[in-house]
Amino acid sequence: MRWTARTRTGIACAAVALVFTAYSVRLVDLQIIKHQEYTQLAAEKHTMLKVLHARRGLIFDRNGELLASNLPVRTIVADGSHIKNPAALAKLAAPYLDMSEKELCAKLNSERKYIVIRRGLAEEKAVALMKAVQDANLRGLISEEDAVRTYPNGQMLGHVLGFLDHDGIGIQGVESTMEKSLCGRDGYRYIEHDRTGREIMLYRGQEEPAVHGLNVRLTIDMGLQAILEEELEDAFKNLRPEMAVGIIADPNTGEILAMTNRPCFDPNHPGDGKDDQKKNRAIIDVVEPGSTFKIVVASGALNEGKVNERTSIYCENGAFAYGGKILRDHHGYGAMGVHDILVKSSNIGSAKMGLLMGPTKFYEYVKRFGFGDRTGIELPGEIPGLLSPPHRWDKLTITRMPMGQSIAVTPLQMTMGMSVIANGGRLVAPQIVRSVEDSDGSVVLAKPPKIVREVVPQKIARFVSEALTGVVGEGGTAQLAKIAGFTVAGKTGTAQKVSPNGGYAQGKYVVSFVGYLPQENPRFVCLVMLDDAKVASNLNYGGLQAAPIFSRIGERAARYLDLVPTLRAEPASPLASRGEKMERTN
Amino acid sequence: MNTNRRKQVNPVHLSSLIRWLLIAAFLGASGLCFLFIKNQQFALAEEIRQMERKIANVRSMNETLLARVTELSSRSVLQRRIADGFISMKPIQDNVIARLTPPVQATADGVLRTAFNEGIRQ
Repeated sequence: MRWTARTRTGIACAAVALVFTAYSVRLVDLQIIKHQEYTQLAAEKHTMLKVLHARRGLIFDRNGELLASNLPVRTIVADGSHIKNPAALAKLAAPYLDMSEKELCAKLNSERKYIVIRRGLAEEKAVALMKAVQDANLRGLISEEDAVRTYPNGQMLGHVLGFLDHDGIGIQGVESTMEKSLCGRDGYRYIEHDRTGREIMLYRGQEEPAVHGLNVRLTIDMGLQAILEEELEDAFKNLRPEMAVGIIADPNTGEILAMTNRPCFDPNHPGDGKDDQKKNRAIIDVVEPGSTFKIVVASGALNEGKVNERTSIYCENGAFAYGGKILRDHHGYGAMGVHDILVKSSNIGSAKMGLLMGPTKFYEYVKRFGFGDRTGIELPGEIPGLLSPPHRWDKLTITRMPMGQSIAVTPLQMTMGMSVIANGGRLVAPQIVRSVEDSDGSVVLAKPPKIVREVVPQKIARFVSEALTGVVGEGGTAQLAKIAGFTVAGKTGTAQKVSPNGGYAQGKYVVSFVGYLPQENPRFVCLVMLDDAKVASNLNYGGLQAAPIFSRIGERAARYLDLVPTLRAEPASPLASRGEKMERTN
Repeated sequence: MNTNRRKQVNPVHLSSLIRWLLIAAFLGASGLCFLFIKNQQFALAEEIRQMERKIANVRSMNETLLARVTELSSRSVLQRRIADGFISMKPIQDNVIARLTPPVQATADGVLRTAFNEGIRQ
């Protein structure tokens, strides 16, 4: 068959048309049908989400002294898909990363796109490393911005500030409770990069800037904190107690001005501290308060009209049989008024006031003073203490609780309980966060003082306060708490230590003193507590061990706060002559 | 025949040629401009990226130095330096203090103390 020219032309055209149709089909397939798939594939290969890290907020004391800041560091990451010569890269980078060449090479020998090589590398080292890598024309190492939290004062205030975990989340102290304010919100940016991994800025995609964390201002005064830390450290070294707690608070506002514990730890290196050292014992440890608790029964009995300023209570000459047990005072006393019961710290007098009130009313006052409930301070892990309701009390509880047994309280509760007497009868909520501020210093959230309730009228509080002045005066149990130039009010506590095996541990005592000054217009209330100080048993009293520490702290604090003396300043008499009249109250 | 062919010579349409040349030149110039602008954009973007990196580095260095200054001037470090004798503090003398509150007697050493009980400390 012979094809005509027209036929041949037609076949040629059809062939060409077929080829072009095939191309067109493929184009439609690539550009339209598989568009989504290939776009995604390209995006996966070249686009990445870059996290814009938010800067964590700073923490200041009440006067603006920096307590927690951020130190910029770098995280060195490797992209295995870009590494052509792992050995050369390892040889170059190992000295900068403080790693062995072999170890680094093993890490780099991978096809993974995100291998964390080293966290927390100092800024200068990271910059020098990246420059060296660039100069050597090697690829595959990326330096990412990061930061570590630093606490310039080291151990000082460690329990209050807390620390962060490996992910930068606060897990203790203010760092934990104020996490939401401090952490801020990370931003993001979609970027495209070239085959060497460098960002192609022209194709920068959607972006949301980071919102930096807010700054937190504490109620802590670092001047007072330094005084408290120094004195408690001395006591911890000299008396070697198992633990020591010190708190200074403003009784009128509830602001915590200083708070410290021993043993302690450095929040810059939390991993080096033992669990025991990291406990903020001011809020998570409970102790029997001992005689410091007598202010509760005295205030309650006076307010309920069970006793008055002139009521005389017979103190059984030092031995009171009740509930099949003998309750003793260290010295035998006859009839005494409420004032003297507090000054002499009579157990029997306190027990009798408890009996006059009855379990229900006494329990009500214990609760009104804030015991058995969390204070609500902005610190994590606070416990409410141990306080059983009256229906679970045995027959002896009503005589033991007024003198600080059969109840367990936190040192902070004890401090706030004493603040009730100091401020004229109001229970104020303790607070450690003063305000939350933005980077310009504008207050975002102010925390005003909070009065929880009126516990007793001002008249009753003043009467008890006068009696507590007598505790520090001649014939009182805490003469060593005196501060020349000021009227000091306070109460000692000497409680037998509860044994983990039940009952009381022989020869082990928790001694404390909680007081305030000036008594006429208290500026601060201070608690000092020592658990099992290693001193002779006949010297292990609140009045002998804790009171002198209080005196030194109070004296320095008065100077620091520039308090005007209310009394003629006289040097205190020697310590030795004062020990004779001290007494253990349980 | 030759005479006819000479008469039938196709004239060059100059205006049409110029129009197409202009269109081609415009298209070429547009393409070149596009390339030039695009390259310039890339160059500027790269400059911005480098600048951003420099600013970030300077900011990081600044923050590092601030953190070090804070650490070195922190209360605990200063107290340690005082204890080591690197720096010393002199007590403020009574006669250089102007007070708005009632005056307090200075002790024999001339140092003003609003409270003192060194007797206990020893």
